[in-house]
Amino acid sequence: MTALAPSTPLNLHALPADVWHAHTLARGQLPVRASGHAALDAQLPGGGWPLGALTEILQPAGVHSEWRLLLPALVHSGPGPVLLVGAPHLPFAPALAAQGLDAQRLIWVQAPGAQARLWATEQALRCAEVAAVLAWLPTARSEQLRRLQMAAADYSKLLFVMRPSGAQQEASPAALRLQVEPQAAAAPVSLTAAAGPQPPAHGLQVHVLKRRGPPLAHPLQLPARSARLNLLLASSQAHALDCRTYRA
Amino acid sequence: MHWIAVRTAPDAQAELADVHSALAWWALRFTPLVAREEDALLLEVSASERLFGGRPGLLLRLFDTVPVQPVHSTQGETALLALGRLRAEAPEAPWQALPLQALAAARAHLPTLKRLGCHTWGQLQALPRAGLARRFGADLLLALDQACGMAPEVYPWLQLPEVFDARLELSAAVETAPALLFGARRLLAQLQVWLRARQLGVLALELLWELDARRSNTQHRDAHHTGGHYGQLPLRTAQATQDMQHLQRLLGEQLAQVTLPAPVLYLRLRSLQTQALAGESLSLLPEDQRKGDSLHQVLERLAARLGPEQVRRVQPQACHVPEEMQRWQPCTQGALPRASVSSSASPPAPHAALWPSWLLEQPQPLQQAQGQPLYHGVLELLAGPQRLESGWLAGEPVLRDYFVAHSPGAGLVWIYRERLAVPDAGRKGSADAPEGAAAHGHSKAQTAAEAGLRWYLHGLFA
Repeated sequence: MTALAPSTPLNLHALPADVWHAHTLARGQLPVRASGHAALDAQLPGGGWPLGALTEILQPAGVHSEWRLLLPALVHSGPGPVLLVGAPHLPFAPALAAQGLDAQRLIWVQAPGAQARLWATEQALRCAEVAAVLAWLPTARSEQLRRLQMAAADYSKLLFVMRPSGAQQEASPAALRLQVEPQAAAAPVSLTAAAGPQPPAHGLQVHVLKRRGPPLAHPLQLPARSARLNLLLASSQAHALDCRTYRA
Repeated sequence: MHWIAVRTAPDAQAELADVHSALAWWALRFTPLVAREEDALLLEVSASERLFGGRPGLLLRLFDTVPVQPVHSTQGETALLALGRLRAEAPEAPWQALPLQALAAARAHLPTLKRLGCHTWGQLQALPRAGLARRFGADLLLALDQACGMAPEVYPWLQLPEVFDARLELSAAVETAPALLFGARRLLAQLQVWLRARQLGVLALELLWELDARRSNTQHRDAHHTGGHYGQLPLRTAQATQDMQHLQRLLGEQLAQVTLPAPVLYLRLRSLQTQALAGESLSLLPEDQRKGDSLHQVLERLAARLGPEQVRRVQPQACHVPEEMQRWQPCTQGALPRASVSSSASPPAPHAALWPSWLLEQPQPLQQAQGQPLYHGVLELLAGPQRLESGWLAGEPVLRDYFVAHSPGAGLVWIYRERLAVPDAGRKGSADAPEGAAAHGHSKAQTAAEAGLRWYLHGLFA
């Protein structure tokens, strides 16, 4: 009887290293690629996007923040091509080149049906030279995503699947699920009146829905624009303000 | 002189269109002296032994790469000796002990020789030569001399064809195009043997099929049928290859889009373009062996199923109108993206930070409310205008003021206002609604004029 009763409190540090502690992030299983956002890296297991695992990104309709989120990682993902399967619009190559991504690396694949998109994504993952695959799969089912997850794991590729926010309730085999939405902006200002003195705080809210580790209670804040664009917008605001004061 | 006689075993299974020529092409990789004698193949290898590291090395390579399994083979100092051992199924027997059935020239005289008590080559040679020649003719004597190495042997040597062109009769009439792949697979295996013998990689080839003449619909015309009894399917690949897996997959994708007007009885495959192929260098280091297909194979497979227009990459253009700055071209045109393309990076344009990362293929007209554009809520202009004009030479003139705007629902967007709104909007309005009468378009133009200038969504910042 005395043997069953815990004589000393359990010491977590005394446990073997491969016993995962549920309150900490999982470490070291998968190779990762740094996301380029320090706040995000701190909350991702291993400190970056997982290589060889499916990362699911959920966005509301009409929002396309993929580049903002993924561009730093893609820029540093080596010289291999980046395949875009079923992208909603054309990537604007000069703008991406200005942010450091060589547009020659982009390959744009448009597939008519959901099945064709899945097939194309899987084929892309099976290519030795491809660095990353970005797929827009609004209607993919869980078992289809599992297949992609297996292919990504087999070939150790960066795989990002973009889905609508509505898919949040569905089960997903993704190793990492993020929900991205633009932060609520300030009240709209009419066109005829000059813009307000304070530019509304634009940011990206990133909810980590699923990760290898404890759930994240608070959403992360990421800047929604590049630093250079912010600078231009700020100077433009300042200019408008100057004009207004001058006219007054 | 060292001869090898090779014959396919009766139970040999080969996915080849023509086993005999495939075997001959395989043998021609090792020696130029290859001849066919009835169902067997004769190879004289003494001259090429040195190239393959001696006789054991040559034999090892030879039987490692044989396209048909299993094969029977024997060796000997003369061709007839090797052949005789193959026929007698006695690879180690001395020539004197070989039965006379194994000598082709003696076959016609076998009953007579048997009555003479002559059963083996040794007994035949012991007979007086003059009498033998009188009784059985000079041919038998010559064959005996050749078998013993007393007379030279000359054969019609086989040659490797310059162009691959093989035919295959299908075992049953094929009604659907995808089923042609089973026959085409044998032809591709045959092609692979030829390519290896020639040390070539194939760039373009053509599959032809002959329609059943009794039921052929000669009027049928489409991309693959020109109205005759033949159908054709050209197949191209970007890099010369000997990899039949890739070609087979491409062919499968292409055949899935073919409709046959009549059953097919014959298949034919021919090479259109080939290229010398250097041997593949293998690496000892494990990190160099990357898993997966090569990029051009994947892109060709995608293009074969989805259509070449659906797999595109960008070509930068020197123009200041956003939609003309880049051209997304099918990957099949021009070279594939190189592994290291840092040299092609030009300095970014000064306004590049003000450009969005997504561009709409067609600018999307925006709804307006009280003169303000709407897109997932009322848009708030943050920066601009950036005025943009194109020359009249470039067709439709472009006169636009671009703004960066914030949408409550969609974040930052890139919109523009047309400066020549009234006539342009009218034209666009009537073009958008073809069923509408001209008067309808006119009234639309008027409403646009009343509302002011039209706004378009052209890009999304992401």
